[in-house]
Amino acid sequence: MTPALEIRNLKKRFGGLPATRDVSLTVMPGERRLIIGPNGAGKTTLFNLVTGDLSPDEGSVKLFGREMLGLPTQRRVHLGLARTYQILTLFPKETLTHNVVLALLGLDRMRWNPWAYLAGQRRLYEAARAALVQVGLGDAAERVVAETSYGERRRLEMAMALAQKPKVLLLDEPLAGLIQEERGQVREVLARVPRDVTIVMIEHDMDSALAFAERITLLHYGEVIVEGTRAEVVADPRTKEVYLGE
Amino acid sequence: MTRGLVALLIVAAALLAVPLIVTNEFYLNLASQILIYALLALSLNLLVGYGGLVSLGHASFVGLTSYTAVLLLNAGFGQLATAILAVAFSTLCGALFGVLALRASGIGFLMITLALGQIVWGIAYRANNLTGGDNGIRYAARPHPFGIDISGAPSFYYFTLAVFAVAFFFIWRLVRSPFGAALQGARDQPRRMRMLGHDVWLIQWFAFVLAAFWGSIAGLLYVYYNLFISPHAISLQQSAEALLMAILGGASALTGPIVGAVIITLVKNVVSTYIDRWNSLLGAIFVIVIMFMPFGIVPGLRQLWTRWRRPAKSPERAA
Repeated sequence: MTPALEIRNLKKRFGGLPATRDVSLTVMPGERRLIIGPNGAGKTTLFNLVTGDLSPDEGSVKLFGREMLGLPTQRRVHLGLARTYQILTLFPKETLTHNVVLALLGLDRMRWNPWAYLAGQRRLYEAARAALVQVGLGDAAERVVAETSYGERRRLEMAMALAQKPKVLLLDEPLAGLIQEERGQVREVLARVPRDVTIVMIEHDMDSALAFAERITLLHYGEVIVEGTRAEVVADPRTKEVYLGE
Repeated sequence: MTRGLVALLIVAAALLAVPLIVTNEFYLNLASQILIYALLALSLNLLVGYGGLVSLGHASFVGLTSYTAVLLLNAGFGQLATAILAVAFSTLCGALFGVLALRASGIGFLMITLALGQIVWGIAYRANNLTGGDNGIRYAARPHPFGIDISGAPSFYYFTLAVFAVAFFFIWRLVRSPFGAALQGARDQPRRMRMLGHDVWLIQWFAFVLAAFWGSIAGLLYVYYNLFISPHAISLQQSAEALLMAILGGASALTGPIVGAVIITLVKNVVSTYIDRWNSLLGAIFVIVIMFMPFGIVPGLRQLWTRWRRPAKSPERAA
């Protein structure tokens, strides 16, 4: 079977500092993969290399067997990639619905239409609403982002990514900064994501993350230190050394 | 929506009634000029307000259209062919300028548009045998659209108003269209927009071309009105004035540039007959407006209106 995401010998340095030393990673379709590692391990850099926000010095990134390097970010999105950000990047003055509509427009030819009345596009607005309901924000749909709580914004990030019906979804610390109750809500949303979506997640919150992950990759100083099933990685002494043992 | 419709009908009626009330030819011509500059500022504001791309070269489209129109008419083309070809050529130049200017963003974008505007000005100024250099060059006569004579001040005003209304309608639709939403998204969060599948560069380029097109239409009206074009009309000051109109009136509002065009054109043409230092007055107006209404007159007045209507709900929404 063709892997959903195949990263081979990826390298990236910032000046003299290697952020990604040599990362190879294979994620199969439908898999739930967790990427852990201490601060500065190169987790977010890895995501930025996969999405095309950064271009690597060497290596290869394949999405369902197709080489991504050289393609601009938006092309990769059209090929089925979606991500959420650790640092929220939303449209704060707009409603939640409008935020999701922008996500839907990204993959819709209609985005080039300078004549149609956007607010009259029921197809888009119904899909946006459905995505918000999916993450439990149906009641907040018409509120402005600036007036929502941090937890709601995290879920909006997810709604925008999920609305695009991606094949591979990259989640950058979706639980960061949330209180216990909100974490539960995000976990529920994640559990409901259908299996045709492959999920790669960076997370610090080990309790939530471990329960979710099937396979875990431990990054340290830009390298893969340990990789395997949940039990294997947790049992590995190197995991304890670099991460859990702190 | 109905309240907006009523307001629109009142404004439309008022604009249609202008030639009946203003019988003085000077003031009626001034009204036509205001509409032309308002269209120029509106088209520029597609970039400035909705695209977040501050351009200092927008008057070049007035020049490109006007000079091309003069040359084509003199070469024996009919009025209609001249108009279409002049606007098409100017828009095409806009497409090329867009490719060059969008190599950069922010100050870089501003500097490239400034440089391109200066190049167009320089060619107009230097290519004497083509453009008449500093002396400018005459456009033979206004056209007769649908056989109607628009050489008089009232008929030209109505002609300008008709063109302006059509342009305003298209720009109004654009701002509320899917493309308009994408353009504003690209202004606020370009990186996020790419990650949502939007081609930010192409969005901004398309906006640049549309702005160039409507700027060229304003240029066509300009040469019809003046029957003359000289490098003065496309100088840096003209581009800066168009930008000032948009910012003074409020770049975030569709009607902002129109209000800005009204104020600046009036100060330039009317107040200047009474006050020698009208430039200083314009500067003072600008400073005062920016101090009390940092987002321009139209958004500022809207804010005042909301506060006046709902004094209890005074805490402002965080931006």
